[in-house]
Amino acid sequence: MIAVAGRSIGTKIRDFIGAIQNSPRVLVGALIVLCMIVCAVFAPWIAPNDPSIQDLANTLLPPMWSSVGSRQFPFGTDALGRCVLSQVIYGTRIALQVGFLAATGAAVIGTTLALAAGYCGGKVDRAIGYLVDLWMSLPPVVLSLTLMVGLGTGVGNVILSIVLVDWTRFCRVVRSEVLVVRRKDFVSAARLLGFGHLRIVLREILPSVAPLIITLFTLQVGIGVIVEAILSFVGMSVPADTPAWGMMIADGRSDIHAAPWVALLPILAMFMTVLGLNLLGEGLRVALDPRLRNRDAR
Amino acid sequence: MFKALAQVALRRLLDAVPTVFLLSIVVFVVLRALPADPLALLLPPNATQADAAAMKVAMGLDHAVPVQFVFWLRDAFNGDLGTSISFREPVTTLIANALPATLELSIAGLALALLISVPGGLWFFAVRGQRKEVVADLAIVSMLSIPTFLWGLLLMLTFGVAFGLLPFAGRVDSDAILPSGTGLLLVDYLIRLDWRNWLSALSHLALPATALALGFSPMVIRVLRSSLIEASSEAYVMAARQRGLSETRVLIAHMLRNAALPAITLIGAQLGFLFGGTLLIESIFSFPGIGNLMVQAVRNHDLPLIQGIVLVFCITTLLINTLVDILYVVLNPKLRKSS
Amino acid sequence: MNVLEFDHVTLNAVLDGGTVQVLRDVDFGIARGETLGLVGESGAGKSMIGRIISGLLPEGFLIGSGTVRFNGESLGAMSEAERRQLLGGKIAFIPQEPLTALNPVRTIGDQFDEYLAHLMVPRGERHAIALRQLSDVRLSAPGEMLLRYPHELSGGQCQRVLIAMAFSGNPSLVVADEPTTALDVVTQAQIMQLIAMQQARSGTALLFITHDLRLAAQVCRNIGVMYAGDMVEFGPAAAVLQAPIHPYAKSLLAAMPSLVGRRRMLPALFEQMPGLKMFKELSGCRFASRCGARDTTCEAGDAERIVGDDGHWARCGASCLILGAVEPGALMPAAKEVRSGVDPILTFEDVRLTYHASRGLLGMKKTSFDAVKSVSFSIQPGEMIGIIGESGSGKTSIGRLIVGLERPSGGNIRVNGHDPRDRLDHNAYLGRQDAQMIFQDPQSALNPRRSVMELLTQAMEGTGEDGPSNRSSRANRLANDVRLPPDCLDRFPSQLSGGQKQRVNIGRALCVMPKLIVADEIVSGLDVSVQAHVLNLLLEMNREHGITVVFISHDLAVVRYLCNRVFLMNRGEIVESGNAEDVFSCPQHPYTRMLIDAAPPESVGVKWPSVSLATM
Repeated sequence: MIAVAGRSIGTKIRDFIGAIQNSPRVLVGALIVLCMIVCAVFAPWIAPNDPSIQDLANTLLPPMWSSVGSRQFPFGTDALGRCVLSQVIYGTRIALQVGFLAATGAAVIGTTLALAAGYCGGKVDRAIGYLVDLWMSLPPVVLSLTLMVGLGTGVGNVILSIVLVDWTRFCRVVRSEVLVVRRKDFVSAARLLGFGHLRIVLREILPSVAPLIITLFTLQVGIGVIVEAILSFVGMSVPADTPAWGMMIADGRSDIHAAPWVALLPILAMFMTVLGLNLLGEGLRVALDPRLRNRDAR
Repeated sequence: MFKALAQVALRRLLDAVPTVFLLSIVVFVVLRALPADPLALLLPPNATQADAAAMKVAMGLDHAVPVQFVFWLRDAFNGDLGTSISFREPVTTLIANALPATLELSIAGLALALLISVPGGLWFFAVRGQRKEVVADLAIVSMLSIPTFLWGLLLMLTFGVAFGLLPFAGRVDSDAILPSGTGLLLVDYLIRLDWRNWLSALSHLALPATALALGFSPMVIRVLRSSLIEASSEAYVMAARQRGLSETRVLIAHMLRNAALPAITLIGAQLGFLFGGTLLIESIFSFPGIGNLMVQAVRNHDLPLIQGIVLVFCITTLLINTLVDILYVVLNPKLRKSS
Repeated sequence: MNVLEFDHVTLNAVLDGGTVQVLRDVDFGIARGETLGLVGESGAGKSMIGRIISGLLPEGFLIGSGTVRFNGESLGAMSEAERRQLLGGKIAFIPQEPLTALNPVRTIGDQFDEYLAHLMVPRGERHAIALRQLSDVRLSAPGEMLLRYPHELSGGQCQRVLIAMAFSGNPSLVVADEPTTALDVVTQAQIMQLIAMQQARSGTALLFITHDLRLAAQVCRNIGVMYAGDMVEFGPAAAVLQAPIHPYAKSLLAAMPSLVGRRRMLPALFEQMPGLKMFKELSGCRFASRCGARDTTCEAGDAERIVGDDGHWARCGASCLILGAVEPGALMPAAKEVRSGVDPILTFEDVRLTYHASRGLLGMKKTSFDAVKSVSFSIQPGEMIGIIGESGSGKTSIGRLIVGLERPSGGNIRVNGHDPRDRLDHNAYLGRQDAQMIFQDPQSALNPRRSVMELLTQAMEGTGEDGPSNRSSRANRLANDVRLPPDCLDRFPSQLSGGQKQRVNIGRALCVMPKLIVADEIVSGLDVSVQAHVLNLLLEMNREHGITVVFISHDLAVVRYLCNRVFLMNRGEIVESGNAEDVFSCPQHPYTRMLIDAAPPESVGVKWPSVSLATM
């Protein structure tokens, strides 16, 4: 009966939502991330000004609550007279774009290789393991910078460079978990029932490692935001006319005595975004752990 | 035990050789064969064909990429890593001058990180189940959300600029004479009993090292706490309590020893992260190490310099991984037995 | 004056917003030099008694009423420091899992030294005392032992070290919580001998906690039977073992298969012992729902004790004495004659299995381990075969070879005419009816994310006839076959008990109607009262569907109950085989004899163990 099958899926979803509702971290984190997403999507409507317009008459204007400030520029302007608040709001676009796309890429590549390595074992595992070890012999920042030199600047290349560096983290962590699941008897039982390897990987192993992947993904978005900021700090990220937090911080650094607000607002924005993502990721890890759900009847 | 240590060291080092080799190839290819044309980045906008051709020959770019690599390799074996385009000096010299600064900074950062993390982890573990735990938890997550370079900026802003307490540029006062010796200023000045300059070097090291430590500590604190929690429910801990040992003794003599292992694994795995942190920190604090050198090289598309620095980073990381593995064998008797 | 006295002790716990009585009115005493056994299934509360003595109770657990006295002094009235002083010195503990009870990163000598320091032994004497204690427990080369790490020792050796440590302080009381559960039966006998020896030497009282009634009866003077936090019976060992009063004790005894006498069907007790969470809803006798003799007074209030003679009492209503008698099971029907002239369903010809490992510098040193060395046998369809051995004997490898999860290093295997490994690699789907396996650990054998309904009918997935209605009706039928209540179908494995999980396991294997089933230690982790269910299920499968069963176990009595033919394995070889009755009544091989002798006998008064105390 469909009701029976449907109920088990429905129960699962209800469990999921219940577990999430019980975790304040997930709620707060999700809220913050949602705010940032809204900023990014609705930037043209939220931002008070166009971030690229330079008002050279009004450079380094303090925020509006100071005596010299103006309501037109709520958080003041930078050295080229651009609105700081608007730049930060538009900056969420680059940050989140890079974060999510890079995390997706790294997750897909890392997970696929981890499943292959963990399930097949033997030579495949050793080869992939060697590749991962090789990749991880360089500090990630060094590798990303080198890749950016080779690839050239631009958002697409930033995403590509993060994917190429961070897939190893996914691969390593997911592989350990795959190895644990692989040894469970229910995998052998599925083999004995005649199911093929691909089916077993997709239906027995992947669902078991899915919570881990979700957690890693969320944390990876945060890492992507940070790496993008680092790259734009060094000037190797997006072109100069695109608003990016890292670049704002780098520019603001030179005027730090006279106009600290130029660097402070993007710093705050970055901190809040990463904090929200970390809270969400951590909360999900605890909420999705099946050991903590469905306690024994005894 | 020493046999096991020697085995680990030898195995690691033997694995390292092909790794360094392969990585050098990868980086070489990335820098030369990928879309961004190295030549275009180096020429001024009004360069003529002749200028371009001359630059090509000077850079050795007129040969095929594999041939270029063989030349580079041959030179590298002779200790010649090429000449830096932006500084016009041999790459080897530049790196040799800059490396000690980074080493000193990294060691100071790691030492500070341990000083923060161990008591931090113990305290975090001790408050579990209490109200304070929520506060501690939030504090750790917040610290984790601040990347290392941001710590650097914040420290510079507050202690350097706002309060003017500590210097935030360079390694020593600009009028100081750099001594010859190891290159590690704290060591060199100490040997000479030059207290004034020693203090100066220390104060210059303070902010950047603290920034590194603050970027690194939260993860270690976390791992230490969770491995302590795991250890406290192990059978041998219960057995020790049943024998009447005090809780303090159980914590230090039994739990900490075991909890240290996962923490060391994490530190080892994340050392690349620590190292990478030096890049921006050195840049922010104008600290003359190879991190700073790398940032400048990248900005100037100085290919030989980038290649050389990457090689050094690679070798250093592998050496550190070997040391961590050795340390792990020393601490974990299960790895020592061969059967 | 008793060394240890529990004076009407009640232990309360705060759980999920309510208070639960974890232990109710527990009352017993142990005199100097005496041994008391606390017997019960897992979750009965016997370990809690140990934790009360050590003071290491979990969060939220508090003594509600009653006093615990040690040598006359109330333990509850002592301060933390005073109690810690007692622990390790006058009160010592022998833990359950010896290999994990010692710190893995410190040497034995280090930990012994730390312990002796706690006992205020002066530094100069510690080494000598440690050496003496270790040789007292018959460990060879004690000096070398002190330099080793726990993972370098076997389970038996570790337990001896722990016993040595426990008795170092000349304790008045030793609490041993399941000290031999993790050990094989021969080592178990040796360890019990050792404990008895040490006890006699120091005049120590021993509180022996176990789930094995027969074992307790051999070593204890008195036995207390625990059920769901109550002590339901107490008395001299012989009386409790041979003439129990309480209905639970009676059914417990009846559910234990025996090595002697005629084979009888084991009566299965339905449901299982209530867990902590259910205590709140139960008033009066907690066994009432499963008791054949239940009447209205049982759930109403506390029953008074029936006092027998000689200090033997049970907590039950007087009517239970009569009504609670458990009928001995019907005699087992004679095994069906195996048809001759039919092809064997399983043959092993000179099968070998060797594991290789690379070690050393560059992986150059290769070591190998022979799990199975030249095994040959054949099995006819419809037989029930038992493979008996201790861990490391190769029995599990044989099971895995039969279903094809391992590839033999040599020799030939045929299951239903096919090679199982080839079948698994190339033709797993079509060949799945040849042989199926029921795995030992139900925790690991069931995907925690799937419901019972999905698990039972997992074999139907992807076949094209896996519509929800098909699956649902099939699941219902299977649940019926394995005696699972229908409301289990929507649950997830974590919500099932061990016995129920094992039945889902069996149901899943049954779904494909295999010709042969390998059951690898499937009842080892189960309580005795639940074990009988599962065993009877296997018998039914064999009798009604003609499924050949290969039952792998270390428990001789269980194998005797189920199987008509047995193979005994030791170190990868079959050392004895034949008709079950013949092998058990007249064992030929010394190993078989050793195993049979090491099992605790079923009546008190027989000398046990007859295994000599060997040096390890």
